[in-house]
Amino acid sequence: MQNRVRTREEGNTMFRTLTASAATALALIAMPALAELKIGSIVELSGPGAAAGTNFRDGVRMGFEEINAAGGILGEQVAVTEYDSQTDPQVSRAMVQKAIDDGVVAITGTVFSSSTVVNMLVAKQAGIPQFTGSEAPSITAMNNPYIFRTAFGSQKGVPKMAKYMADEMGVKKVAVVWANTEFGKGGHESFLKEAEAHGFEIVADLPTEQAQTDFSADVVKLKGIEADAAFVYLTEEESARFLREARKQGVTLPLVGETTLIGHKVIELAGDAANGAMGHVGLTPDANIPAMTEMVEKFKAKFNYTPDHNAIKGYTAAYTIKCVAEMVGEADSQAIADKMHGLTLTVAECPGVLMDVSWDETGEMSRESFFVEVQDGKQVVKAILPPN
Amino acid sequence: MTRIRIILIALGIAALVAAPIGQGNYIIYTLTSWLLFSISAMGLNLTLGYAGQVSLAQAGFMGIGAYVTALLTLAGVPWIAAALISITSCFAVGLLLGWPALRVQHHFLAFVTLAFNTLLFLVLRNEEEITGGSFGLVGMPRPSVFGIATDSNLNFYYFALACFLVSAFVMWWILRSPWGRAFKALRENPIRAESLGLKIRRQTLLAFAIGSAFGGLAGALQSPLVQFIEPGSFALIHSLKLLLMVVVGGAGFFFGPMLGAAVVILLPELLRFTEGYYLIIYSALVIVLMVFSPQGLIGLGQKLWNQFRPRHETRRDMKKGFQL
Repeated sequence: MQNRVRTREEGNTMFRTLTASAATALALIAMPALAELKIGSIVELSGPGAAAGTNFRDGVRMGFEEINAAGGILGEQVAVTEYDSQTDPQVSRAMVQKAIDDGVVAITGTVFSSSTVVNMLVAKQAGIPQFTGSEAPSITAMNNPYIFRTAFGSQKGVPKMAKYMADEMGVKKVAVVWANTEFGKGGHESFLKEAEAHGFEIVADLPTEQAQTDFSADVVKLKGIEADAAFVYLTEEESARFLREARKQGVTLPLVGETTLIGHKVIELAGDAANGAMGHVGLTPDANIPAMTEMVEKFKAKFNYTPDHNAIKGYTAAYTIKCVAEMVGEADSQAIADKMHGLTLTVAECPGVLMDVSWDETGEMSRESFFVEVQDGKQVVKAILPPN
Repeated sequence: MTRIRIILIALGIAALVAAPIGQGNYIIYTLTSWLLFSISAMGLNLTLGYAGQVSLAQAGFMGIGAYVTALLTLAGVPWIAAALISITSCFAVGLLLGWPALRVQHHFLAFVTLAFNTLLFLVLRNEEEITGGSFGLVGMPRPSVFGIATDSNLNFYYFALACFLVSAFVMWWILRSPWGRAFKALRENPIRAESLGLKIRRQTLLAFAIGSAFGGLAGALQSPLVQFIEPGSFALIHSLKLLLMVVVGGAGFFFGPMLGAAVVILLPELLRFTEGYYLIIYSALVIVLMVFSPQGLIGLGQKLWNQFRPRHETRRDMKKGFQL
């Protein structure tokens, strides 16, 4: 028994000595590092979210490299540390803890909303502002004063698009094709609400299954009805299959959707069949905005691939942090978070945000977006939709 | 149990108590994750290492535990009651699933449990009125023990450590009891065990249900630890991860799952400096280990130890651990 007590005490003393020396060593290392401003980039670098996460990560990286080359933020260089959430909320929470232990001023990421929801809780406790790439509506509905979007929530897209269909395309009768999943149900519901507001007549309502491969029956039904347009709300791969089938059967109806109908992945998968499809996108590398085109060119030269909207989100997050820190005059987490609420950043005062943008009290953001049509395998901007 | 073993265990517990002192939140959180996965892997070790059945549903049982605890604690039920209900329901589901499933064994049981895990994932995702669907459940409160809140990561670590020590003790007790010996007997030679009067099916079923109940406790801890759960956290891939923990650590060894959980959770962290290559290096290491030592790390350690002391004869029953 005595033996055991002594061992434990010895263990403790040894541990204390170790901790003390480790702390001294840390303090010594930390001295020169104080001159640096730390940012934690927490993204999905492995797992199902890797494609989106890598884009976001590279956007953040490029943004801060440019900022550092131009003299940093308030004269301080920015040190970006990257953390891999593995697209797993439990790991993601560990990474946020780690970033906060490392003393970051702000956090960029994550893209997948399940991780963002967890990260928000921890970042809120520590009072660290977080610039997320997630578009799930629930995120800004949680009364968290430290969360800020880099792209507006998906609940804003459908109303913008429906308004364009009513005002510019003169749509009266509309068919709806949607995926019978959680994602699809959300879009379907909000479209029906908008349709009622704009007085559209729903002439066909066609639910489809997740991972459906054969859309011939749905397309036949679509051909048999008289409508001015069809609203197509499917995930990317299903959209591509649907577009191919529609082309095969010679559907002439305008097909209108969201990013998931006319995104780059769909164009790649559907090939020529994607031509003529229209839709609303929040951010597009093909927008005719000089700053955006320039950013996309630089990105291609640096990373050897075409960035998607997630890369642009990451890039603008970096510049938002820079501009807001310089507006408040200090790189302080609380001051940045306070300033962000109700803020409007124009391209004139902060060129790096690429487009004028504003945030409300919940961290939700508003920005102009685009109505595009696919022509020759490229998104061509038909109209710029005002922020809502 | 020898004197040296008692001293070693006391030292181990002292190290666990001292480990988080002076550490940052991240290390404490990762250590807590390790404790939690150790509990779950211990349960799987009973099924796999002692009763010799491959289960691919351990993450599913963690899911049942996590969702039951989350729903109850969000409704205001104290954690301890919620955890007990979680454990009991996992035990019950284990019995129900095991009853028909254990008619088939080994690979076929693996398929049945695989199907169960996938089914559970779909139920969790689709019953959105109850489970929150793919958005999951958020904001589960952390429990208070004797008036002490476990909101800080350090307090929660000690809370999880207490749960871990209790479950390790229970596991040790089960393995020493006639039940535990019966489990080992039927793993080694089911025909002989049966001829000695053991009811194979009842014993395997019990091992499976008890193992599942350990998964339930781990789930009950995961809810307040992460304070967010979603169906994806309990998908098949996580069952495979738990299986990997048991196999890497050493199936059929008491400390195997704890070592395995440490390797599976901590090694990717240690290898993180290699950036994009870490998963490749990590998986290559696991393959090499499995080729050279199918008994896992503890088996490897024993092999090396025996090289040093040729007189020390390994027990046959320990040597014949389960192989995938």
